[in-house]
Order: sequence, then structure tokens, then C-alpha cells
Amino acid sequence: MVLSKALGARIPRREDPRLVTGTATYVDDIALPGMLHVALVRSPHAHARILDLDPAPARRAPGVVAVWTGDDVRDRCGPLPVGPRIRDMKVPRRYPLVVDGVVRHVGDPVAAVVATRPDLARDAADLVEVRYDPLPAVVDVEQAAAPGAPVIHPDLGSNVCYRLTFGEPVDGALARSDVVVSLRIVQQRLIPAAMETRGVVADPRGGELTVWTSTQIPHVVRTALAQMLGLPEHQVRVIAPEVGGGFGSKLDVYGEEALVAALALALGRPVKWVETRRENFLATVHGRGHVEYVDLGARRDGSLLALRVRVLADLGAYSQLLTPGVPTNTGLMACGCYRIPQAFAEVTGVFTTLPPTDAYRGAGRPEATFLIERAMDVLAARLGMDPAELRRRNFIPPEAFPYRTPTGATYDTGDYAAALDRALQMVDYAALREEQRRLREQGRYLGIGISSYVEITGLGAAAGLPGGRWESATVRVDPTGSVVVLTGSSPHGQGEETTFAQIVSDRLGVAVDDVRVVHGDTRAVPYGVGTFGSRTTPVGGSAVYLACQRVRDKAVRLAAHLLEASPADIVWDGARLAVRGSPDRALSFAEVARAAYKGTRLPASEEPGLEATAVFASAESVFPFGTHVCVVEVDPDTGQVRILRYVAVDDCGVVLNPLLVAGQVHGGVVQGLAQALWEEAVFDGQGQLLTASLADYAVPRATQVPTMELAHTVTPTPHNPLGAKGVGEAGTIGATPAVVNAVLDALAPAGIEHLDMPLTPRKIWEALHAGRRR
Amino acid sequence: MEGTYTLTAPRQRVWELLNDPDVLARATPGITRLVPQGNDTYRATIEIGVGPVRGTYEGQVRIADRAPPERIRLEVEGGGRPGTIRAVGELHLDERGGQTVITYTGDAQVTGLIASVGHRLIGGVARQMATEFFKALERELAR
Repeated sequence: MVLSKALGARIPRREDPRLVTGTATYVDDIALPGMLHVALVRSPHAHARILDLDPAPARRAPGVVAVWTGDDVRDRCGPLPVGPRIRDMKVPRRYPLVVDGVVRHVGDPVAAVVATRPDLARDAADLVEVRYDPLPAVVDVEQAAAPGAPVIHPDLGSNVCYRLTFGEPVDGALARSDVVVSLRIVQQRLIPAAMETRGVVADPRGGELTVWTSTQIPHVVRTALAQMLGLPEHQVRVIAPEVGGGFGSKLDVYGEEALVAALALALGRPVKWVETRRENFLATVHGRGHVEYVDLGARRDGSLLALRVRVLADLGAYSQLLTPGVPTNTGLMACGCYRIPQAFAEVTGVFTTLPPTDAYRGAGRPEATFLIERAMDVLAARLGMDPAELRRRNFIPPEAFPYRTPTGATYDTGDYAAALDRALQMVDYAALREEQRRLREQGRYLGIGISSYVEITGLGAAAGLPGGRWESATVRVDPTGSVVVLTGSSPHGQGEETTFAQIVSDRLGVAVDDVRVVHGDTRAVPYGVGTFGSRTTPVGGSAVYLACQRVRDKAVRLAAHLLEASPADIVWDGARLAVRGSPDRALSFAEVARAAYKGTRLPASEEPGLEATAVFASAESVFPFGTHVCVVEVDPDTGQVRILRYVAVDDCGVVLNPLLVAGQVHGGVVQGLAQALWEEAVFDGQGQLLTASLADYAVPRATQVPTMELAHTVTPTPHNPLGAKGVGEAGTIGATPAVVNAVLDALAPAGIEHLDMPLTPRKIWEALHAGRRR
Repeated sequence: MEGTYTLTAPRQRVWELLNDPDVLARATPGITRLVPQGNDTYRATIEIGVGPVRGTYEGQVRIADRAPPERIRLEVEGGGRPGTIRAVGELHLDERGGQTVITYTGDAQVTGLIASVGHRLIGGVARQMATEFFKALERELAR
């Protein structure tokens, strides 16, 4: 029984007015009396031994209250947590400051300066004298994995963190294939570059430790801080205030969170640290960073026979919270949308002397989609087949679901051909191919790129984390009938203050404006897992749905009692709860709520009050899918790519709010095409990040973004009560291969089969000219 | 980085200038202090701007190798707020018809802001400094 028209409605985001009027509170807006400020001294070298570290000149500087080095930290703080538990995995211990005298990436923190003002702290940080003896930098992941490479963590024996395989070897099937496409793909490192950098404020006063931090996972941070600092967890409160973007880079427990808390506890005063933009480039996790070898075997008619994938994942210098786990998603999802009889993936996590990588929008799934979608296009070209036709021929058919891939993923539902057909129809594919043929005769480079993706949402957390594959929600009805939702999800731009209110309106009949959604404060909301992996709607939203069901059942029971009817005879039309056949015998929802709190006329079996807490847990992930089509023209004189059309058909099951889904797809596509065309973290041979500012690292601007034509197919999932799948990362996952396939389709007449990202004008121009010389 | 510069003076005269700390202190752009430490080593303070990255660097210049009056090899190591520099430079002096042709090569490793923000400009800055240095040597020859 649906009680309002809210669910599925185009309701503007309720959180936006405070964001666009500058009245939201971010970590840097927090100011407490007597608050001290931290500046960190970071290594300028990628790999070096500290010969001498003299904090004395900094200690004498104006306003300085304390200077800490690794020794001060080791006594007060345990190592940072590592979530995944991969068999035979070797991970180094990491502390908030370097404790063993060796720095392992540019930006590795070696000392912390605390002063009465942020500028004084930064000035004093420059006075900390550190002498280094540089050691060999290990920048290239393949060299890092090779025998004889300098070992970054000598106690681990080698730079290989783990090696994990999916499926069974396929050498025989590849040998029997008529055609085998072999590619080496570089997934360049990316920098998440959230608009708000990280920041932490810790307040030790009042008998508990309160920590404000710009995080996606406040409860995980609370548990981790309690463990690292040896505090009883009930004395730790973590608050994620307004969080200005994360994209996975704040799905982490960072050394600075523990360091600032430890400083506050030791000094007995509030302490604040706000990351500079430059630190954000060096000290917040990066994303992607793979070298991949792909072999895809097929019959001459295009039917796929076997896939072999070898992934070398650049983990960086240390393991952050989920570092080793992220690349394993690439192995798991390597088969994409296709029925491939045999598949094998080997993922090797390798340490380098670069900043750590971790989850970044898509977290292993964009890499998987890219490698299979790129290989499909190359295969189509080799076979002389249309790339759309090759995809259609190999899609897992709708009747095959639930479908278990040879690499071990079980897809819930899907109709991949429906999304592809819709996208092709929107671009008028046949006419486009004809236009392409015509333009090629004129020497023009038009390209059409297709990317059909399937990805995982609603993932649980890793084995070593306190939370799992669930989320919590409390739905609390006030005596006047308004509703407060307390959710364990912790949004940083997703818009659940809107979508969760829509779920409540749908279930309880109250207006969206009568619902308030509270999140991010571990003292206010039930223990939760957090917001990442496109899990907010399918998992967090389902918890809200279940809590609403409990409230709804109780409201019906109370109304039945008050109206002297059977619960089965109560009809709820959204405005009133009435007795079937007697519309005059009715109560409003607010009247039921008031009676519930009054408590004097309740049945003996009912407690006063009207609220419920629910946890939605699902053993199954859900797998959204879709097809993106990109049309580009490449200017052969400049190498410039112009996007002419961008069509995205995404299937995220039931859509709760088309406006918010469109917003997620827009943002996701922009991040995906940024990887395809512009963004790359560039290091020199010494491990220096050469793109450590927004002037050098090519985050796209609004003028570079094409108009997007969006559509949806709707294939509900059976794994949650909303029938919804996540859509936060789908755009990114779909976009990158669509754009790259389009550019390479454009360049096909020049004999160019593959180029690595980003497809900058220079790279394209050089390839075109090299091709002409051939 | 590499380049050549021609000075209108005999090689021996140029060589003497290049080995005179007072001349070097006057001729090197941005240098504010050059103190001999013995053993062909000098402590130096130098102010350089690489695009937006401006700073004062303290460090050490060492004559690592010399073959009078033909060749001199310098090693520079220093640091300041914007980062650190390690560089080696080599000068070859050839006498051609009363003139001295100096061929120089240099290679630097930089860290910090100079690397991440200044890397696009550092080559140009180094070439400009070399040109300024040799022009200053010309003025020294004219004194």
C-alpha cells in the first residue's frame, strides 16, 4: 500500500539550499575555545632514511605548544587498521607519523607541530630540520614486482602484498580460439580531489573524546580510534558534519584522525588540522593505478571462449583501510556482461614508493569494465564485426539470472540487450555508422564508442572492519506526527535527506517536508556502516523501509484498538487510518502518534511511543548495468577530441528520485570521461608528483562537459524491499570505456588499435603522425 | 640541461675567474653568500624564483673534479622551504682563436614545490640563470 506519490517523484534535493547559500558547517567551520592547530612536516623524498630530525628550533618558535615525532606517537597510538583479509597477504604496520626512520612516499608525515594559530604552526613546521639519505625510489609497478627491485618494507621480504586468483586457468581454451586479442592496458593513477579536503577537530573535554572528521564512515572511525588510542568506545564520539565530497577517498581511517585525537588527549585542549590542497594531492589516497594484461579468445563467429586477465595493482607505499581489497573487484568483475565459458584472473597487489591507493569512485569495477569493453572493441575490429552486434551475441541472456560468472560473482538480474538497444536507438546507431562512413571518405575522424557495463552495489565492508553487509535506521515519529529518521549511512553529497524522506512519505503518508533525516553523529544515530560502494539506497534505504514497516504495523494496531476494530479492517489512505466500510470512524496519523505517546489507552501488549529501529542485511550484492554510447570527432591537426553525443542508459532497478539519479549519473560520467581524456597523476622517476596542484592536475571544468542524454530501463532486484540498485558509481564505470572506445573508433582508419589513457591531444596527435609514417 | 657560451678571453683567464670565489659570488644570479669551507667546498645561500615558487636555499657547492684549465665538475646540494635540490654540473673550456667556448651540462633532482609546481619552468629558469652567469663573467673580464 503506497501512501503518497513521493517515491519516484522528481523532488529537488532538500540539502541544497544550505549548501548553495554557504550556511552548511564543514570541519573547517568548527572553532572551539582554546583550540590549537596542527601542521605536519612531510617527506620531500619518495624513499629515504631519516639521518637526523631536530624538532628543537620549531619548539622555540612563537606560539608553538608541542612538536611530535614518531616516538611520541608510538607510545600513544596503535597502528592504523587494514580491512581486507586476503590469504597470505603481507602488510606493513603504519602509524600516524613515521616511526621506523624511513619515509616511503613524498608526503609521508614525519613530525607534527602544534601551535596556537594555524599560520604559526605552518611557519614552525618549516623549522623542523630533517636530514635525509635518499634511497632508490620504486615508481613503476612492474619493476616493483620484479625480482631484484629495492624492497620498500624489508621485513616483508618483497614488494608483493598478495596474489589472488579468480576462476580456473584457461590456457587450453585460448589455444583453441580462432582469434585471441591480447592487450596491455594501463589504468593510470587518479587523484580523487574532493572539493573539501580532509580535516579533523578533536575535543577531549567533558569526559569524552569528540572528533569531527570529514569522513564517509563515522562509526568505523569511532571503533578504530577507540582501538588505536586504547579508549573505551563509549567515550568516543565521531561526527561527520557536512562532507564536501569523498568519492572513496574518505572511506578510510587516516593517521591524521588518530594523531589529532592523540594530541588533543595529551594536551587537554581542542586540536584542529585541516589538510591543504597540496597535502590532499600527496597524503589522501589515490585511485586506480593498474597495469593489466588481457587475453580474450573467441570463435570466428564472435562467440567468446575464454578470458585471461593479469592485474598488477600499484598499492602505493602502505595499506590504507581497503587498499589491498580494491583491485580484487577487478578480478571478480572481469567478465563484464558476457557469458564467457572460461575465465581466469590473477590480481597482484604491489607496494611502490608512491602515496597509497584505495577506493575511488567504482573501486576496481571501472578497471574491470574498461578492460573487457576495450578488449571487446578490439575483438570486433579484428573479426570485422560491428561492436554492438558482438556484445549482443555474447550478453548473458535475461533468463540466465541469477548468473554465476567463472570468476565467482553472482549477478542478480539483468537485461543487458534492452539497455544496449535503447541506447542504440537513442543515437540512431545505423544512421551514425552511415555518417561515419561518409565522413571518413572526407578524411574526418568520427568515432562511436559503446560501453556495456555491469557492476556491484550494496557491497559489505571488508572482513577486518567492524561493520558488514548491512545498514541501520531508526524511524521516530514525534507526538505531533512529524518524523525523524536516524540513519547509519553517512552521506557526502548523495542526497539521502531527500530520498530517505521520500521512503518515509511513501510508507507513512507524511509529507516529505515533515521528515528530517539525521546522519553522521555516532551519538545520535544507531551504529552504521557508512556510505560507499553505491550502498546508500539499496542497503541504507532498505533499512529505512523496514523501520517504516514496523512503525506502520504498530500504527495500524494502535488505530485498530482505538477505533475498536480489527487491524485487518484498518484502511490507510495516506491521510487517515479508517475502519473499512465506516469512513467516519477514522484517526489521522498524528492522532495515532499522540495516542501512542500519551500511553493511556493502549492495548496491554503495546509499549508507549511510536518508533522502530531496523537493520537491513543482505547476503547478496545487487548488480546494476547499462550501456553508454559516446560519439566523438577527433581533429587530426590538433589531436583534440570533441564529444558530439553522450547517451547513457542505466538500469538501477526502481528509481526513487529521477532528479537525484540524473545528478549521480552526470557527476559519474564527468569523472569517467575525465579519466578517459584528461586526468593523470604524473610522477617523475624519483617519485615526485608533478601534478600536485589543481593547475597541473586536469580536473574537468563545467565548460568541458558535454550535454548528456539519459534514459533508464528498470529491472528490479529481488534482494531488497525497494527493488533498487545503487547508481552512485555507474556513470563513472560506464563512461571511461565509452569515451576511449569512441576515440579509438575514430582513429581506426589510421591503424591505431589502442592508446593508453588519458587520451590527450598530444598523445593522439603523435599516434596519428606515427601512423602516417608507417 | 646543456648549452654553450663564448667568452672573448683566453682559456687560462676564464679558468682563473671560475676559480675565484669572489667572482663566483658576484656572477651567480641570486647568490647572497658564498663562504669557502676548505677542500673545494663552499657554503652558499641563494635566492631563486621558479615561476610562483620563490625561496631561499641554503646548501653546499663542492668542486668534485677539475682538470685545469679544461674541465670543472660541481656538485650542489641544498634545500629551502619550497623543497630540495641536488644537482651536478660540468663545464668544458675550449680555446678557439683567442676565445673560450664554454660547453656546460647540468642535471638536477628536485623535490617539494619546486618539483610539483615548478617542474614545467625549471629548465627555462636554469638556462636563463646560466646565461646571466656568463654575461656576468663577461663583465668581470672587462673589469
